[in-house]
Amino acid sequence: MAFFPLNLKEFFFCEKPEPLSGEELQTIFQNRYQLFRRLLTANNNALQAMAELERMYYGSSSYRMAEINSKITAIQINVYKMVNSLLEMAEGKYTRLETILDQISHNLELILNQKPERQQGPFIMPLSEISFEDRELVGEKMARLGEVGRLGLPIPTGFVFTASATRKFLHAELIDEINRQLQIIDPENLEGLYAGCHTMQELVRDTTVPSSLMEEIYASFDRFFKKDQKIATRSSALGEDSAGVSFAGLYATVLDVDREGLAAGIREVIASKYCPRAIAYRRRRGYRHVDIEMCVGCVAMVNAAVSGVLYTRNPNATQEEKGEEMRCNAVEGIGRGVVEGTRDADLYILRHEPFSVMERRLTGEHPLLGEAQLEELAAAGRKLEKHFATPQDVEWSFDHDGHLFILQSRPLQMQEHHEVVETGNNHPVAPLYQGGITASDGACCGRIVRVDKPEQAKAFPADAILYVEYPLPEWAPLLNRAAGIFSSGGNEAGHLATVAREFGIPALFGCGDVCQKVEKMRATVEEFTLDSTARCIYPGRDEIALRRQHVIPSPMTSSPVQLILSRALQLITPLNLNDPDSIRFKSTFCETLHDITRFCHEKSVMVMFNFGGNYHFPQAAAKRLTADVPLEWWVINLADGLREGLDKKTKTVSIEDVVSVPMLAIWRGIAAFPWAGPPPVSMRGLGSIIFQSTMRPELSPDVAAAKLNSRNFFLISKYFCNLGVRLGYHYAMIEAWLSELRTESYLTFRFKGGAADMHRKSVRARLLADILERWDFSVELRGDALLARIKKMPIDFLEERLMILGYLSLHARQLDMVMDRAETVEKYRQKFLREIDEMLAREKNKPGNK
Amino acid sequence: MTEMKKFNILVVDDEQEFREMTVKQLLHRGMEAEGAEDGKIGLEMVEEGNFDVVLLDVKMPVMDGIKALRKMKQAKPLVEVVLLTGHASVDSGIEGMKLGAFDYLMKPMEFDEVLEKLCDAFEKRRIHLDKIEMAQMKKHMSLPS
Repeated sequence: MAFFPLNLKEFFFCEKPEPLSGEELQTIFQNRYQLFRRLLTANNNALQAMAELERMYYGSSSYRMAEINSKITAIQINVYKMVNSLLEMAEGKYTRLETILDQISHNLELILNQKPERQQGPFIMPLSEISFEDRELVGEKMARLGEVGRLGLPIPTGFVFTASATRKFLHAELIDEINRQLQIIDPENLEGLYAGCHTMQELVRDTTVPSSLMEEIYASFDRFFKKDQKIATRSSALGEDSAGVSFAGLYATVLDVDREGLAAGIREVIASKYCPRAIAYRRRRGYRHVDIEMCVGCVAMVNAAVSGVLYTRNPNATQEEKGEEMRCNAVEGIGRGVVEGTRDADLYILRHEPFSVMERRLTGEHPLLGEAQLEELAAAGRKLEKHFATPQDVEWSFDHDGHLFILQSRPLQMQEHHEVVETGNNHPVAPLYQGGITASDGACCGRIVRVDKPEQAKAFPADAILYVEYPLPEWAPLLNRAAGIFSSGGNEAGHLATVAREFGIPALFGCGDVCQKVEKMRATVEEFTLDSTARCIYPGRDEIALRRQHVIPSPMTSSPVQLILSRALQLITPLNLNDPDSIRFKSTFCETLHDITRFCHEKSVMVMFNFGGNYHFPQAAAKRLTADVPLEWWVINLADGLREGLDKKTKTVSIEDVVSVPMLAIWRGIAAFPWAGPPPVSMRGLGSIIFQSTMRPELSPDVAAAKLNSRNFFLISKYFCNLGVRLGYHYAMIEAWLSELRTESYLTFRFKGGAADMHRKSVRARLLADILERWDFSVELRGDALLARIKKMPIDFLEERLMILGYLSLHARQLDMVMDRAETVEKYRQKFLREIDEMLAREKNKPGNK
Repeated sequence: MTEMKKFNILVVDDEQEFREMTVKQLLHRGMEAEGAEDGKIGLEMVEEGNFDVVLLDVKMPVMDGIKALRKMKQAKPLVEVVLLTGHASVDSGIEGMKLGAFDYLMKPMEFDEVLEKLCDAFEKRRIHLDKIEMAQMKKHMSLPS
């Protein structure tokens, strides 16, 4: 199909077109050359953005939809430029690419803009009629609370302002304005984040609840409560049900709300969706704002005598202890002090079954909870754990009449346990501090930075250890950046402890006078090590404790944003068009944006390569380079890459005929040392290669033999060079544009493939990466694929790097076969470094060079 | 710093800080530059003025960048437009290119990148104008006297 327009033309107009004049040909060629360069630049940019997108996806840091959108836009625009340039170069061929690109773009758009589907339901639902099934209507927290009531456990009376009601309240213009604010917020810029959040929350607070809704709210209040009853408005968000995501303490709870204050209490909870800590948390965990909707539970205040939090398991326990204990924190009055981490609490450690109190750590003289109350709580905890089939984090209160109320029950954030290492008393170094409560275990090292006020939070440096007096939930945005956290006050049951466990950062709370001890040492010691498992802080970097450091799982796992990126990547990065010699290497087989770039690149090179032949334009035809260097080298002069006065019809050129600055530099590297031939391969190595060949038909010896002789092309102009080295199983590409304008100059090197197994190919790629990094390249490595780049540097600097690339692309060939032993790798590393140094020194000492 | 040829630039962006800073930096580099805070005002200025290159934000109130681009190209086909975005929908990227935008820039970016892109766009416009002039000269010369 791609050839149809041309064939048709030839069919109807058999008459040959008039031959073009030399001047016209030159103009056509110049135009092609411009398009070709535009295409190559776009190719580089598209591949770079693809690599960045993949790095986001496979990396351990969080990313936002805005970043995904911007990368994908960059990829699409560059692919568009490639298609556009190729179409112009290829004179009517490959028009199918436009349709394919449009189709892929359209599908990407659908993926990126997909909104969660929501159920519509009543505006108000009584708590007594709610079960876990209703979580799409009333949010996770209230659905669970309704379910707790259904189990026969006591819960406060109340009703829920549902997601449908919130949707009615947040009218279109308000949402538009909030979205606009959300888009201009950069969560990394804390100052902007706090200001933007304030604006959005004020917008919500200033919005009137529609009167029809208010009537329903008042009617429900009057149905369930006496006129002077005080209630609490509590957040219950929708869309938070992914595994391992706690959303603990992000949103507001307003206590002691009376009938008059209902609207304000509800608005405050809805507004808290836009508080800084919630926005930072969603960003970190990969939730879009549209994925979360807020419902509001309006529940009776319990006249609490004692309140607290029950963990039905110990979240930091070792494997052996896990089944044994429940942990119960208790304070006098309402439980806010426990969950906010501002109050020291009684801690009771309870045995699961048969019930017993294993330990009491009291804050006062007398225990706040008696044995009977603890037993009642433990029974409730067991029931909840059994029903929800996972350890629970339960908020509870006993009123002054001794009645128990369950206020919330949610999955307990458990922590993976670490390797047991020698610390604490057995540790050879004395700790600066020992004590406190492990809120999240692990170890980290860094500067200690104290934060007392939100204004100071803005200046908190990444990877420092955070010290706060109390572990308040409002410090949660800092856990995005902190290596670890410790505090003077607080306990293990606060929201911040939950967030720390979830993020996998070490947290040690309740350390009392630790701050003075740290302050004293700060003059002489810069770094400290926090080992929250052994409950120790060491001056300096303590390698023994740091063995506890663990790989933090990607915080985005299974999140909506990760899911979107995963689906989008399917349309972007897989490469189906591997082999240009295959009959499937056609535009119609392009399924991804990567396929399109590969196709455009290959075809554009062909267009340039065939230009001389097709137009009888000998300047552009490929010429063989005669030189005393192994392999076959060919030169295609794109513009002014060969010396003036050269016989245009000549079929061969020597290196003296070349004036392309980048090509000459690469050639100096290629010719610097004779190639010793392929390294001797052990039987093991050879066996593996034969095995690989049987697994991958394109690597069969016949195919390889044909390709080993394939030609290597230099595409050149005075300041441009693109060298493709296709040697058997390897593919290397060097491209350089040297310009007096530094902003234009660039140099890229790609290296991929090999005949050995993935491990050895990767070792070779790593070896090359190490060497190139030494020489200022920025290097990206994925498996056996290497991409190295330098941009915006002076010409002589780039020439040196090109020599190194020339050297490496010749000498690193077939090395993958011997990359199975560390000493061999080291031997080659030393050889390469030595020879590169020698080569560059020789170059500097040449007459005429400084 | 390289010698810059003087040309006229219009910066259309509702983000005041970015707009004013860019205009200031362009003026500092010896170029003529003005700002407009939305697509509608930008379009009017293009219709009335003599701008070589427009730096145009995609997401703006009143009239968005894509609509403004379409109308600018209708009014002045030879004006070169560099689109600017921080959070555009993905589709608008290609849509903008199809409507004849010279290129795209993603926020946040360095001023040097902006300058480089503007110069490239101006270069394209200059070549285009030269060609037209050449064609007209040829036509003129081939006319019987």
